[in-house]
Amino acid sequence: MIGRPTAVALIAAGVVLTATAMVLPWYSTAYAGGVEVVVRAWGTEVVNKPGDWPAGDLSPWYGLPVAVTAALLVAGIWVNRAALAGAAAQLGALGITAALVVSDRGHAIEQQGDFALGFGLVFLVIGTLTALVGAISVQREAA
Amino acid sequence: MKLLSTALLVAAAAAAVAATFLPLSELLIRLTPDQPQTAYVTTGWATHFGGTKDEHGPLFGIPAVVAAAAILTGVRWRKVAFAGAAALAGVTGMLFVYLLNAISFHKAGNIAIDPGLQAGFGNGVWVLIAAVVLAFGAVAVHPDD
Repeated sequence: MIGRPTAVALIAAGVVLTATAMVLPWYSTAYAGGVEVVVRAWGTEVVNKPGDWPAGDLSPWYGLPVAVTAALLVAGIWVNRAALAGAAAQLGALGITAALVVSDRGHAIEQQGDFALGFGLVFLVIGTLTALVGAISVQREAA
Repeated sequence: MKLLSTALLVAAAAAAVAATFLPLSELLIRLTPDQPQTAYVTTGWATHFGGTKDEHGPLFGIPAVVAAAAILTGVRWRKVAFAGAAALAGVTGMLFVYLLNAISFHKAGNIAIDPGLQAGFGNGVWVLIAAVVLAFGAVAVHPDD
């Protein structure tokens, strides 16, 4: 038992880390000729994009579901159950992100690209786990 | 109520697992105007372009099955069922964003050039959404609180 104030502090820390993840790069692949594909929460950016590349004009907003789960985490500071919903949903969303990262890494290596994880993804993982520990602790305190 | 919540949780978990084997998105692609259409199909376990399998296709099935396992464990504990349902909702939400972009990208590019092509969600997505609804329904009638 870590006590409710500590548990709530963990949830709050999880929110801050998640919010930071939303503005940092999640992962990137550098190709020959200085071309770099950078995946972020609010779209994929292609640096030095060659003219015939279709990528980057329309890209997924992975930050959208994460913003919803982060909002649930914030609500969880006052409503215990919202924190559990937010942390669990964020973990689920992170699972899909992990599947995409492994896939994109495989494609990048196959095409002689230089794949690198970004701080955004690191913050998202730590933030999600921190919030989850806080949310579970709050539930245990309430029980 | 216990029997009903158990039945709903089992149904939700089964639907979530079944969804991973169904198409999540189906895009019809034509590489050149004189080529026949080829289906680009993504499931939870593989991505196929016609008869060719993408060796690095994303394994969306793994997080979906993990969430389904949590939902099944929730037969005993209501809070675990709730967390499992929320996790499956997170899986579905992030997957929806990814697939929606892939479909929109195809529509804005290939289909704008060749209206004979098509793109859309596969039945797996609708089954996955139904699994989320079933799971939250089970939580609502779960007697352990």
